[in-house]
Amino acid sequence: MIINSPIVRISRRTRPSSPTILTTRAVDHDIRHVWMMQLRPYCWRGVRHSVAGMNQPTAISLARVTKTFKTKDGNFSAVRGLDLEIQAGQIVALLGPNGAGKTTTIDMILGLTAPSTGKASVYGSDPRAAVHAGRVSAVLQTGGLLRDLTVRETIQMVASTFASHSGVEHVMERAGLMDLARRKVSKCSGGEQQRLRFALALLPDPDLLILDEPTAGMDVGARREFWKTMQVEAAAGRTIIFATHYLEEADAFAQRIVLMARGNIVADGSTEEIRAQASGRTVTATVEADALDEVVASLESMAEVNNVSTDGQRVTVASTDSDAVARRLLTDLGGRDLEITTGSLESAFVSITGDQVDSDSSTGNDSEAVA
Amino acid sequence: MNTTFLKIELMRILRDPVTMFFTALLPVFFYIIFGASQDYSDLTAGNGNVAMYIMISMAGYGAVTATAGIGGMAAVERMQGWGRQLGLTPLGDGGFVAIKSAVALMICCIPIGLVYIAGLFTGAKGDSLQVWLLSLLILVVGAIMFALYGLIFGLAFRSEAAVSAASGSLVILAFLGNIFFPLSGALLTFAKFTPLYGYIALARYPLTEGFSVGTDGIVTEEALWIPVVNVVVWTLIFAALATWLVRRGRGRQ
Repeated sequence: MIINSPIVRISRRTRPSSPTILTTRAVDHDIRHVWMMQLRPYCWRGVRHSVAGMNQPTAISLARVTKTFKTKDGNFSAVRGLDLEIQAGQIVALLGPNGAGKTTTIDMILGLTAPSTGKASVYGSDPRAAVHAGRVSAVLQTGGLLRDLTVRETIQMVASTFASHSGVEHVMERAGLMDLARRKVSKCSGGEQQRLRFALALLPDPDLLILDEPTAGMDVGARREFWKTMQVEAAAGRTIIFATHYLEEADAFAQRIVLMARGNIVADGSTEEIRAQASGRTVTATVEADALDEVVASLESMAEVNNVSTDGQRVTVASTDSDAVARRLLTDLGGRDLEITTGSLESAFVSITGDQVDSDSSTGNDSEAVA
Repeated sequence: MNTTFLKIELMRILRDPVTMFFTALLPVFFYIIFGASQDYSDLTAGNGNVAMYIMISMAGYGAVTATAGIGGMAAVERMQGWGRQLGLTPLGDGGFVAIKSAVALMICCIPIGLVYIAGLFTGAKGDSLQVWLLSLLILVVGAIMFALYGLIFGLAFRSEAAVSAASGSLVILAFLGNIFFPLSGALLTFAKFTPLYGYIALARYPLTEGFSVGTDGIVTEEALWIPVVNVVVWTLIFAALATWLVRRGRGRQ
């Protein structure tokens, strides 16, 4: 029986809870197949990960980048001294509430706007040069199409600006637009227009694809279709960066989440790390009823423990080091039926961006106004 | 020049019935009503006849309506997100302006051409071929400055309605530009400071050589420098305004 590498990768990368079972039970082909179906997002995530090693070149580098706009009420800083490096082959979500500076950051990566200070480079060169060379392309937020053109004309027009492109028919096929070629853009639904933008982005056959709120305005079906298409692109080895405020999308699709709030990065890591960073892990175990008070006192004396609560014989411990707590519970304290869980990404999101508001409330207000 | 891009841009305008009616057919209609069908159309006017004089005027009106519409739409398209889409391509601002200018130049040939053909068949007379060709050339080249006029409206008000307003306001400027009927007195003096006056006076110069007859029947002669200064000054004003509005737009992006 052959275990191919993506599956091995999955077992290493996925969450500590359920998918871990895969390592021990992957022997059975049928069970493995079932897992593959259920863990679809994770399995190609694994595929990508095997390509994206540590020695990949840098796709994007932003160094102490700021962007300040002049408004009627004075200057507004959309991005405030942001540092970001993204390796080729990664799939990264830029997650954050409206007004966090996601679109401005993307505009700087694409050379649509120049940073006020700091330096942005894409594949080691100026962003404009990378766009000209067709190395980077993007699906931008709503707007940006001429309503009186047909789908095919729009693609032909944009294709004509590139010295070489991957072919009008080819990108229409990839984006599933073959049946819509003669339809006017004004008669296309939101999802169809988004597929057209995606086809335009594929024209230069870019190494780096940036998606700004790609599924905004799509219904559930169109959204699922869109991500399915995107998974194929990712599997083909493109670096993909997408901005979103949908947690589920970031969670299901990204290898790495860059969480932004008020023009800067507030957290950066895998979805698991973001969760852990915000809420820590929670350890739950059953202990002997007569030892309960002693156990609680012992746990509360540990430096890593934030909070201990009980429900009958069940003890729940929130801590920054779940391993240490688990070890203590299983050895010294006689715990049974031990469980380690991670808080939801949503609570992480709220706790990380929320904390920032409290410690930085003076600048919090003006970003709200612009959002 | 990117011919695919240019071809699709041209097609967009040619297949829009509303635009084609106002830019191509209306000037021909005006020429026939105010020129060819009038008794005075065969009276002598400089190096030709009155029909020729009205033909040049109406062709000019059609040409500036066309170029103002194209300039205005270019600004609105760019601000409504198409500019961001094109920002992801190697086509820079210069390339975009070049294509739109070429489109404006070609489209303004439609009303000019149609009115001139109508003139040819309805008794417009010029003493020499030079009068025909020179006036036609001035009309085409000069119409480009009104693409800037449309651009300014598009940049300033950011909507399709603004583009219609630009074309509509040209009707008023056309009255002041001595296009629809000959002005005289104080109104004529004021008219000389308005933007369409210089353009039309220059285009008619091969025919009139500066002479004109007012509604009061008095013949006046105007030096060539007056329409030339008018065109130069207004072109500079339009260019400066457009540049300022583009910069303002960039800052707000």
